Amino acid sequence: MAPDETRPESARESREAAAERAGIAVRPEFQSGNGGGLREKVFELKGVDVLYSGVTAVKGVSMDIHRKDVTALIGPSGCGKSTLLRCFNRMNDLIPGAEVKGEILYHGENLYGSGVDPVQARKLIGMVFQKPNPFPKSIYDNVAFGPRILGRKDGLDETVENALKGAALWDEVKDRLKDNAFGLSGGQQQRLCIARCIAVQPDVILMDEPCSALDPISTGKIEDLMIELKEEFSIVIVTHNMQQAARVSDRTAFLMVELDAEEHNRWGRLVEYDETEKIFTNPADKRTEDYVSGKVG
Amino acid sequence: MPEAVRVYYQEELEQLEASALGGLDLVSDALRRTMEAVEHQDVELAQLVIADDDRIDGRYLEVHQALIALLATQSPVATDLRLISSLLHVLKNVERMGDQCVNVCKLIPLAGNEPPADEEMVRLILTMGKHTRTLISQAKRAFEERDAEMARDLVRQDDAVDNLNRECFRLALDLGDDADVREWAMTMLLAARAIERIGDNAVDIGEQVAYVVTGLFREFEDASHPSS
Repeated sequence: MAPDETRPESARESREAAAERAGIAVRPEFQSGNGGGLREKVFELKGVDVLYSGVTAVKGVSMDIHRKDVTALIGPSGCGKSTLLRCFNRMNDLIPGAEVKGEILYHGENLYGSGVDPVQARKLIGMVFQKPNPFPKSIYDNVAFGPRILGRKDGLDETVENALKGAALWDEVKDRLKDNAFGLSGGQQQRLCIARCIAVQPDVILMDEPCSALDPISTGKIEDLMIELKEEFSIVIVTHNMQQAARVSDRTAFLMVELDAEEHNRWGRLVEYDETEKIFTNPADKRTEDYVSGKVG
Repeated sequence: MPEAVRVYYQEELEQLEASALGGLDLVSDALRRTMEAVEHQDVELAQLVIADDDRIDGRYLEVHQALIALLATQSPVATDLRLISSLLHVLKNVERMGDQCVNVCKLIPLAGNEPPADEEMVRLILTMGKHTRTLISQAKRAFEERDAEMARDLVRQDDAVDNLNRECFRLALDLGDDADVREWAMTMLLAARAIERIGDNAVDIGEQVAYVVTGLFREFEDASHPSS
């Protein structure tokens, strides 16, 4: 996908305006197109703990997420990868009793700072869920939903078309934009959700097992799409499918469940985070090796 | 993934490693008989070695196919992936070593029934064969024990085989002008060269050992950039 085909000229400005609305004063060195010769960091996590009602779910995670990378979070069930993913756009705020400790910097600014509006932040950091969740509306209205809320009514047709093209769905739905979204197949619905996400020109797309409910053909399409989308967006994906992580991601983080001495309490811990190729050919930690080789899980 | 499937996979991988490395025993035996055929100018034994190469080729094809099936069905990663990749290389080297034994054995009838053999040159070639068999068994042990140092030592051992090969060449030059002697000496040089290549194959297996152990593939020595 050529970014210019799907991205309005004003996208960069609107994204930076959105950051301003969210209360995130993006530092000049982190602004679009300014890599400064170093890998630009979208997120920096420093000693992040996540607790639900005082019980630790994830402990001591420190990692950097780089711009325009696909970053995969892998690990056994209950290791906290989805919990961690939800920290990236403050979705945990919606869960009563959830608490995030440590520091999460978004483009160098504290994502959990008092001046940050989580609703606005989520417009910059979109999310695609495990199960496709289109609204009970037409295909067109699903994609136009975000831009309308943001008051972007000019050029709405173009925005919808560009988002559907960006999600590799346009050719399949261009003649039935007014049809109900529920009439689409599961794979098409998931791509519609991705179109809905990118229609508001986010900076980051979070994906929580986006292919787990899809057949291999639809999964392949979403994976191809991820490779195209990272030309413009940074993507963080939680997946149970290790081959998927190996196929699509640039970097992979492996989390596992850790138990206390009494084996009473359990929490997720980041074990290893490295280039995906390294994780799948020569991981540094034996626990990663055992997990990716299928020896434990 | 059911645990039993994964256990079966691990057992199968262990068996395939044993089969692939067992190919080195077949090669070592073929080389022993090849050297015996050279020593006694035994054409019949040479023919037997040539016929038996089908066993080595069969091992190569059988284990290669099984490893490809594991790649397709089990999606191995990390150490398992490196091991399978290395075993595919080892098998190719085993097959090449077997072919080199065949090459030597094909030369024996060419030398004639009562060749004007030079005792010193025969002695050199037999010594090369002995050293090379040691290289083969050391390569196998280094692989089995995942011993990168022992693998690296193969280079030193192989230098001795290379030196013997050069000695053969110098000796051939000194053997005089008699046409029959020259022809015999040229034939023996080809045999020495084939044995020297088997030594190189053993060093290549050593490089695979280092790759399995460290995750980094490096040639111990590069023919185009020799260390000495």
